[in-house]
Amino acid sequence: MLEITTLTHAYAGRTVLALDAWQVAAGEHWLLLGPSGSGKSTLLHIVAGLLRPSGGSVRLAGTDLYALPAGERDRRRGRSVGIVFQRLHLLEALSVLQNLALAQSLAGQPVDRRHLADLLSRLGLSERAAAKPAALSRGEAQRVALARALVNRPQLLLADEPTSSLDDDNADRALDLLTGEAKAVGAALIVATHDARAAARFVRHLTLPKAT
Amino acid sequence: MSALALAWAFLRHRPIEALVTLCLAALAVGTMVVLLLLDAELKGRLTRDLKGIDLVVGAKGSPLQLILSAVFHLDVPTGNIDRAQAEAVANHRLVARAVPLALGDSLAGFRIVGTTADYVALQGGRLAAGRLWQDELQAVLGASVARRLGLGLGDRFVGSHGLGAGGGHGHDEHPFEVVGVLAATGGSLDRVILTAVESVWRVHERKPGPARTGIGGIQPAEARDELTALLVVYRSPMAAAVLPRWINSETSMQAASPATEAARLFALVGFALDAFRGFAYLLFTTSALGLFAALYGALRQRQYDLAIMRAVGASRWRLFGQLLLEGGLIGLAGAGLGLLVGHLAAWGLATWLAASQQVPLSGLGWQWQELLPAGGAMLLAVLAALPAAWRAYRLDVAAVLART
Ligand SMILES: Nc1ncnc2c1ncn2[C@@H]1O[C@H](COP(=O)(O)OP(=O)(O)OP(=O)(O)O)[C@@H](O)[C@H]1O
Ligand SMILES: [Mg+2]
Repeated sequence: MLEITTLTHAYAGRTVLALDAWQVAAGEHWLLLGPSGSGKSTLLHIVAGLLRPSGGSVRLAGTDLYALPAGERDRRRGRSVGIVFQRLHLLEALSVLQNLALAQSLAGQPVDRRHLADLLSRLGLSERAAAKPAALSRGEAQRVALARALVNRPQLLLADEPTSSLDDDNADRALDLLTGEAKAVGAALIVATHDARAAARFVRHLTLPKAT
Repeated sequence: MSALALAWAFLRHRPIEALVTLCLAALAVGTMVVLLLLDAELKGRLTRDLKGIDLVVGAKGSPLQLILSAVFHLDVPTGNIDRAQAEAVANHRLVARAVPLALGDSLAGFRIVGTTADYVALQGGRLAAGRLWQDELQAVLGASVARRLGLGLGDRFVGSHGLGAGGGHGHDEHPFEVVGVLAATGGSLDRVILTAVESVWRVHERKPGPARTGIGGIQPAEARDELTALLVVYRSPMAAAVLPRWINSETSMQAASPATEAARLFALVGFALDAFRGFAYLLFTTSALGLFAALYGALRQRQYDLAIMRAVGASRWRLFGQLLLEGGLIGLAGAGLGLLVGHLAAWGLATWLAASQQVPLSGLGWQWQELLPAGGAMLLAVLAALPAAWRAYRLDVAAVLART
């Protein structure tokens, strides 16, 4: 599903990421570990098609992502990759429902109200559909961000530090949701974190070394 | 969720900057529309009134004043002319037609004009009811006069001395009878009361007392040997070379060319309009700069929104287009509001001018040229959004999203 070979990335000549080979099969759950500055976020952005690596290749479902024209790469990200950020970045101008609808239409899909309603009710957000993000609790906002990542039934779900600002209970619940939902849509899941609490829940670990 | 719905949501989320720039654009467009409408209507009316009149002959004085008073019934006349001299002009072999005008009295601000039936024909008038005057003290009302004063066939009224709205003393002993009402022409004919020249003379005959001076210091054409002005139609183009010179040098009258004076008037009015136009351009510039600042300045706050849009599948071009759309929407709303405000203001201004200054404008109507400032506002808005759109296009999504 995801196939990475001889990947390197450097910012202004400083190499922060070097990954010889890594394969993620469909539906697999991975934990991406490493100290701060080891390039976890960088790797996720590269995998999502948001950041062209300095070297190496990223194949997503058989296609070399960075051989595609930029517009095609954007479309592919919209349709097959869902991303949850540590800072949730919900669009404040839009309601919860509109945030989801936007993700659907920006990916080039028609807005499917039934699907959105189902998703919201599955995440316990039906009541909050019309609310603006500013009115949500942290837990609710987290679930909206997850719902947005799931809207287009991605093959690959990426989460960058989904638990770092949460207490133990909420961190547990967030991880439950992520893994549960990934399983429900059959998506491969990659969670980047330096939070040791998550380690025990994942069988597959990739640990990035601290950049030299 | 369509691009339009999204743009609308963004604009509504931060409405102040959008509203301010929108209002500035609307003011700019509105000002241009007012200028266009009033300018076009004024020119249209003046040209229609002047149509067919080759020369205006009256007492010496300002030629512009002579034209304004004799053709548009706006200014006070320059004085009176000698009837014998006027007849010499009328009988000149190069003159096809000469229409006499005798002014002096008014009714509620509307002038009573002593003339002949030729005047109605010259101004393109047509009877809506009744007939033309056949005898002294019979009057035919212009359309606006009949409507505003509520007078109809068979009604009687007395004119008051002078041309001002308040009028001088009344001529109670000489009531006029309304025998006809004209159809509206859109010209100054609508605002006058027509009667025979002899009626004007008759009203002012053997008047007792000292009141020889009319309102505004104007002598009414009161003696049987006086007229106020003569509207002349040439028999041949050659007349233009001969008649004015002859009248100006050989008689105590002056000859004024409507074409020349109208051009002078347009130039005068045009100068004032240019000043307003400059003001409108200033507004255009201000609104464009305001829009640029609003969109560009908001980018810092919006970078996460834009980055997220990219993360969920939007292309660079989509963000570029989204920002141009926001600019375009503000431009469109500004243009629409501007057209509305412009038409309302033109109507209001014209109504006020008509009521207070007797300038016959309606402010209604429509000019295709209005589309220019409206389209210009939209184009300018899109241009003002370009820098912001370009920054959005260039946005380094990964760098923005990595920032915590
Ligand atoms: N846009 C950028 N320009 C320059 N340097 C960058 C940029 N983004 C990240 N870096 C640097 O690259 C290195 C890796 O950053 P990255 O964010 O991938 O690490 P990380 O493992 O996600 O760290 P953390 O656990 O703190 O989130 C860091 O040293 C960081 O300072
Ligand atoms: Mg990180």
